[in-house]
Amino acid sequence: MSATAAQRFLQDAAVKSADLMHREVIRRGMDSYDAAHLKGRARIKDWEAARQRCQEIKREAINHLDRYLLQFEEKVAARGGHVFWAANSEEACAYVKNLATRLNVKTVVKSKSMVTEEIHLGTALEKAGIKVWETDFGEFIVQLREEGPYHIVTPAMHLLRGQIATLFQEKLGQKIESDDPAYLMAVARRVLREAFFSAEMGISGANFLVADAGVIAISTNEGNGRLCTSIPRIHVVVTGIEKVIPRLEDLAVLWPVLATSGTGQGITTYGTLIGGARQSGEADGPEEFHVVLVDNGRSQLLADPEQREVLHCIRCGACLNICPVFRHVGGHTYGTTYPGPIGSVLTPHLNGIKEFKHLSYASSLCGACTSVCPVKIDLHHHLLQNRRNATEAGATKASERLMFRAWRHAMLHPRIYALGGWSMRKALRIAYGLGLQGSILDPMRVWNRYRSPVPLPAESFRARWRRDRAAN
Amino acid sequence: MPQTDRAQSENPSREQILQRIRAGLRTPVKVEEPAATTSDRMIFEPIQNPLERFQQECIANLMECALTADSTASARHLADVLQSLPEGEIFVQDDPSLRRVVELAAPGRAIRWSSQGAPSEASQATVTLAEALIAQTGSILVTASCGGRGASVIAPCHIVYATIPQLVPDLATALGRASREQTLDHNSFACVISGSSRTADIEKILVQGAHGPRRLVVILQTER
Amino acid sequence: MKGKVSLFVPCFVDQLLPQVALDTVKVLRRIGYTVEFPEDQTCCGQPAFNTGYWDDARPCAERFVRVFRHADVVVCPSGSCTTMVRTFYADLLAASSLRDDAIALASRTFEFSEFLVKVAAITQVGATFPHSVTYHASCHGLRELHIHDEPLQLLRQVKGLNLIEMTRSQECCGFGGTFAAKFSDISAAMGTSKAESIAATGAEFVTATDPSCLMHLQGILGKRNASTRTIYLASILAQDGQTNASQARESLAKKSFAEAQP
Repeated sequence: MSATAAQRFLQDAAVKSADLMHREVIRRGMDSYDAAHLKGRARIKDWEAARQRCQEIKREAINHLDRYLLQFEEKVAARGGHVFWAANSEEACAYVKNLATRLNVKTVVKSKSMVTEEIHLGTALEKAGIKVWETDFGEFIVQLREEGPYHIVTPAMHLLRGQIATLFQEKLGQKIESDDPAYLMAVARRVLREAFFSAEMGISGANFLVADAGVIAISTNEGNGRLCTSIPRIHVVVTGIEKVIPRLEDLAVLWPVLATSGTGQGITTYGTLIGGARQSGEADGPEEFHVVLVDNGRSQLLADPEQREVLHCIRCGACLNICPVFRHVGGHTYGTTYPGPIGSVLTPHLNGIKEFKHLSYASSLCGACTSVCPVKIDLHHHLLQNRRNATEAGATKASERLMFRAWRHAMLHPRIYALGGWSMRKALRIAYGLGLQGSILDPMRVWNRYRSPVPLPAESFRARWRRDRAAN
Repeated sequence: MPQTDRAQSENPSREQILQRIRAGLRTPVKVEEPAATTSDRMIFEPIQNPLERFQQECIANLMECALTADSTASARHLADVLQSLPEGEIFVQDDPSLRRVVELAAPGRAIRWSSQGAPSEASQATVTLAEALIAQTGSILVTASCGGRGASVIAPCHIVYATIPQLVPDLATALGRASREQTLDHNSFACVISGSSRTADIEKILVQGAHGPRRLVVILQTER
Repeated sequence: MKGKVSLFVPCFVDQLLPQVALDTVKVLRRIGYTVEFPEDQTCCGQPAFNTGYWDDARPCAERFVRVFRHADVVVCPSGSCTTMVRTFYADLLAASSLRDDAIALASRTFEFSEFLVKVAAITQVGATFPHSVTYHASCHGLRELHIHDEPLQLLRQVKGLNLIEMTRSQECCGFGGTFAAKFSDISAAMGTSKAESIAATGAEFVTATDPSCLMHLQGILGKRNASTRTIYLASILAQDGQTNASQARESLAKKSFAEAQP
């Protein structure tokens, strides 16, 4: 019987938790991010005001989602662009695939888009015989390794240069002379440049859909997104419906906040705005412009007033970076498109609470994620709510439900509670006395596997209090 | 925009999604009132000296910014930059002021003008005007009118010929103006560029010159 | 006398770490408060609540509100249990007849260090503790109750205490309640990272506002045979320098969690 997602998670987490090399690589990457992020924060006079404003912008957008989506669509359509509304992954993939086959597309160049990972667009196109090039450098690397992105902003942060050099040697059919990052980038540039100039279709995501201007906004650093959306004849945007913002001017605060939270930069190198295919008189640009608006469970999340704000996420990755669980198990362990705190909150809504509730439990609820979220999503409290939703849906183990029923009974009756506590201490004392500590019969073996045993007091506090009171 | 029957049959999910959204939004969210309303002034420090700030940001962004007094000086600087590049075609936005300054700077150079189409893959450099410069972030705002989309990304070196009156203090000003002037109705594309292309995807180590230009040069002339 | 405080003793402190509560009482009395312990209390409901069993947590919360309804002020030697009452009771009991009582009770329930510094307005409690100490910022106290400086203010006033700052002091220790059992590999890995930060300070002791963090960390440190021992904040403040050296060492052994095994 194949393992459930929860079982796989536990297995992978066990392996990664013990992988000190992995921890060191991630620690170095996160230290680098922390330093850059602090510098970025210093460029913003009032960070809390910035977060407040971003929260307000997204709240307005999401709570009037139909209005702003229609405004965006109207402007795009008026310029001759095509807007397709996809209920789910299948519809979105079918639209792009049919478009590609109709227009005789042989090669696609793709810039980074987590939504395309979510809907497995690359696989759908390759099945149709279309070659897909991931052009974001990190995505290019993990595509060669045939794995998914490790992190939503830095897809290859789990790899060292030597591993990448070896990978290129194996997969690119050319001699790799060095593992210097600049050299490796130059290799990728040469390989991908051929793709940029020969591909018939460029696929991008969108960080924001600007309703009043009817444009998509893409924040990048490498220039691959620019080339994907400039050279090929057809430009397809694949985006979640929640990416919409009301006004162009909203970018004045969203761009710097996204960059600060994402990488520590004041702003990303390229803030690209595209409203359609090339207009007459323009020197270049695609001839066709398509926007695929993907629902795939988002409208359902929208209907949950308690968790609607989860749709405010601007996919900056800050919560992943600060999360101690992420830092110790890494992005692949989650086994989902979106890892980290946002992934743990979101995935049960997109992919089902029964299969993915374990992610909401795989957290100490430390709240660090909530404290850094630039749009002030109450992430760790949403994890708590997911846990409640899971028990209410009957998705938790019967043995656990019974255990808490018994626990409740004890807590409502002080004598049973006190007796229970006393019995536990007694049982442990006997077990330790018999030398069972660390063995299969050790009642505390989960604890004692990694920790020295908890010392057992002679009496409880209340017993001592009663004794002291009687003595006076 | 009214939904035609043909459109409905081509994209039936559209109406379903809209219905789901509207149904979902019928329940309002609880919103805590913030302590104080936010305003732009609170978020970013006001820019006291835009020119100075722009120059500082250019340095931080690893951009080159050269101040010139007039078009002769600008041509001289442009000549220096072009001479430092390998031989080969350059792509230039077809604009009278650029025709003048490029003719002064590099009379013998092979030039492809934007009126002839997209830049070629082997361009050694591109030369364009800008829509605006932004002091807050050390950015240039280009549009499709500035020689097209590829003009600011295809070649290893992008040279921008701008004037100080084009400098605005911050993103809010630049975007506000673009909104009012409907820049994105008249152009299919615009881009706020804040440095050379780069990546930190390997071990978070910064590498300059990823897929876009490694070198971004701003020739900033006092006046047109 | 300054007034009366009602002591809210977390269930695991009551059963496994009684010294935490004893020292809390000692310090409160020393600064002039009468301490009463409502013996009818059991648990605030946090374990069930955190695991998602709100229907099981609710009656415990209601019971808690009834037990403490008469209290002038409630003090608790745990940031996480205080959080349960202050941050979550209003939602958990939103539909209960005891909702208003819960909200009123929440407004007068305090974690130990914030009570001393913000309510009693005292940072000097007459403590002597001539040892090096590093401080772990327990998550609930830090991020739910916004306790940043209060424990440090108290520690800085302790005679002879050498306070050493640890890197990543705000990173979670990895306990997280049932998380430690359900995801023990991750919990232990997080604890180990914390233990490394602690070891880098070279401090003799590590303290915090949550004895659950300290219980977990003592286990991790003990397994590594680390020299640093954990000690709850009140246990440091309870040291008054009046006992002689050997008595102090003995009482210290009891107060730190690293006791000899029974």
